[in-house]
Amino acid sequence: MFSDNIQIKRNFLGKATIILESKSIKDAIVKLIKKDNNLGISAITGIDLDKTIGLLYHLRTSEGIITLKTEVQKNKPVISSITDIIPGANFHEREAADLFGVIFKDHPNLKRLVLPESWPKDLYPLRKDANLADISTKCNAISYKTDESPSQKGNLVNIIVGPQHPALLEPEKFSLKVDGEIVKYVEPRIGYVHRGVEKAAEKKTYLQDVFLVERICGICNSCHAIAFVASVEKILGTQVPDRGKYIRTIILELNRLHSHLLLLGHAGLEIGYEALFQYLWRDREPIMDLTEMLTGNRVIASSITIGGVRRDIKENHIPLIKKQMAHLQERMIFYKNLFENEPSIKLRTKNVGVLSAKEAIKLSVVGPVARASGVPIDVRKDDPYSAYEEIPFKLVTRKDGDSYSRLMVRLDELIESAKIIDYAVDNLPNGPYRIKVPRIVVVGEALTRVEAPRGALLYYVKSNGSAYPERVKVRTPTFSNIPAFQKTAIGGNIADVPANFVSLDPCFSCTDR
Amino acid sequence: MITFDLIFRILVFPGFTFIFFFTLFVDWLERKIEARMQNRVGPSLAGPSGILQPLADVIKLITKEDIIPGAAKKIVFKFAPILAFSLIVFGMCFFPIDGTNIIPNSAFSGDLIFDLALLTIVNFLMFLSGWASASPYGSIGAARVLVLFLGYDIPLFLLALSPAFLAQSLSISEIAISQNFPFVFLAPWAFILFLIAMQAELEKDPFDIPDAESELVGGLETEYCGGRLAFLHLTRDVQVIFGAALVVELFLGGPYGPVFFGFPAFWYTLWFIIKLIAVIVLSEYLTTLFARLRIDQVLKGNWKILLPLSILSLILTVALNTWIYPWVM
Repeated sequence: MFSDNIQIKRNFLGKATIILESKSIKDAIVKLIKKDNNLGISAITGIDLDKTIGLLYHLRTSEGIITLKTEVQKNKPVISSITDIIPGANFHEREAADLFGVIFKDHPNLKRLVLPESWPKDLYPLRKDANLADISTKCNAISYKTDESPSQKGNLVNIIVGPQHPALLEPEKFSLKVDGEIVKYVEPRIGYVHRGVEKAAEKKTYLQDVFLVERICGICNSCHAIAFVASVEKILGTQVPDRGKYIRTIILELNRLHSHLLLLGHAGLEIGYEALFQYLWRDREPIMDLTEMLTGNRVIASSITIGGVRRDIKENHIPLIKKQMAHLQERMIFYKNLFENEPSIKLRTKNVGVLSAKEAIKLSVVGPVARASGVPIDVRKDDPYSAYEEIPFKLVTRKDGDSYSRLMVRLDELIESAKIIDYAVDNLPNGPYRIKVPRIVVVGEALTRVEAPRGALLYYVKSNGSAYPERVKVRTPTFSNIPAFQKTAIGGNIADVPANFVSLDPCFSCTDR
Repeated sequence: MITFDLIFRILVFPGFTFIFFFTLFVDWLERKIEARMQNRVGPSLAGPSGILQPLADVIKLITKEDIIPGAAKKIVFKFAPILAFSLIVFGMCFFPIDGTNIIPNSAFSGDLIFDLALLTIVNFLMFLSGWASASPYGSIGAARVLVLFLGYDIPLFLLALSPAFLAQSLSISEIAISQNFPFVFLAPWAFILFLIAMQAELEKDPFDIPDAESELVGGLETEYCGGRLAFLHLTRDVQVIFGAALVVELFLGGPYGPVFFGFPAFWYTLWFIIKLIAVIVLSEYLTTLFARLRIDQVLKGNWKILLPLSILSLILTVALNTWIYPWVM
């Protein structure tokens, strides 16, 4: 179905990797979309290959990830944009353009996304030959102008929210164009706290990188650790002992529990329901205590490591975990009842920010946001890792795709998570929880997806046979979900913006990694 | 005739000092109730069970630096909060707290309307103070105050007329004294609607739209600090007492109740405080129970539901008072 110059590698970087020429990428994707209606984009990874720049298009299909691999010349890195066929590719292309200097032809809006406007023009930080010495003086020397100032054109009023806005918890900016109370256009801008973790990871050893990637996001730290660690284990061919897998699963689900409870409480605060916030965050405390008991840390667990976990679960922990999970399930039924019967919650969240299943696939959104629109994707089911293959649990979906369903999906998932932990504790295998692995990783590359609380988290790790990775690519769930906010806020009331936005569970610490 | 007794009544009891400390007490009570309902502890460090916390807050704010934004309308920004506070305390003078008004014989026919007008003016001054601060958050919060109180003033006035009809008087003290049988039993519909309208008038949840933290930071108070912020807070707190006192006077028989021994003034004050606290608890309960509504939802509810209902309630009260109650009692 493709032109001549292609190579297909099965079960490599997802289900298959197709290597082809840069000019046939767009045709290939068009053909794939014709075959598979559920095709979306997961990420675009750039790699510096000395003479050329490699581009990996990780496509999300019904069967799993398919990677299209191509190369563009370093001195003339031009490739045609696929944003017109998959709107979700917009941000991925802009990021690659920022960090590698790839020019995407016919992209609707190829502006800076993660780098500051004052960043020097021909300096692409993730290229190996980038000279980053004295970067602070170079940045300041260049003056820049933005066209996004508060202004009024006709009926449209330009409202800028952020990057410093007391109502936002993290620095990000949204330029809203408003006609009266109705939002007409949204332009998000991220990158205010971009820390260059991907670059930093290339300068540290694999073991140090585990600690580095955990610090990308405080809330879903274990998910970042497992995604990185699993990638390295794939390259090494390590088989993690069963007990290690189960303990990992328990820690990951604790992570999900505390993240979802945090979000639901925060949503309560955004819609002015303080009592709900206080109740939910109080019920979150035992989860934090359990995390501390099992890993020694309350927030950043630092428990998952290459080859297993760092701490075993002790016999006397098990009844405590089971007791808390039973209690949590009881509480969740109470909250579900509350969400279903409380009129003021429904008034604020029902029919707010509706995202249809079709749009969700087009925009390639992930996690609870996609599931609330009726798209049944969950990496734990589609591409099982750790012990999820052996543990039975229900995939929660809802049909309406509004803010209310997005919150309800999370409530149902909390119950499922508690059941997963309960099952994992009951069926905890005996044996070692960790094996020793070599410090130097063989040449290879691997792609891992995990289901973080906010959706699929994707890691691509390439090793060059030394103690340091050649390239670490992180695609966080919020990065994929921001386009959904862009879509759903348009046409809605400006007073609905907070309730809509919070239901996506945005995390800018993740996004600006 | 200015006597020592009069000055004592105005300055100490049941005048300014009493109202000031009672306000702080009610503020503490509100915080405690809200905390308990939200599964928290609430203020606990200053004084026994944190009872001195509101006083500590006021003292802290007064000692802080006073900053006036350069773009603010200076005179309005400076004096609106103080004027609002003075007016709302002045409004309290028309409530019989210990049996008579704070200034004896100051009651006149129509002081109910005067008091409600004062409440409106205070709301308007709050709007002005936010408007004058020249900050987008302040102005939006202020505009919301205006929209909200335009909506809720009419139902509130209409509902306050029900007890006036039952008592055949427009004087608060006469309405209070004529309630041998509290009006809450004669016109419970008006009582419930009045509580809801009062909740909106005092900008409490689910109607605290003017200071929605998630959208407007601090609402109209955003640019205020120091002593002026303390006055804004105090105005809010006295407004709460004012609203609750209005409910007590109009529907719950005012300060009057059984006198067992000794001074009637003591018993009347006690009854007043007990009834007022009951109203506060009820209002706090409503506050904690609901999420904040959106401003268009509130306005829709107000013009489409509350206004027709309050007119109906007035018609019902007048009809019953004319044809049914004379036969029953």
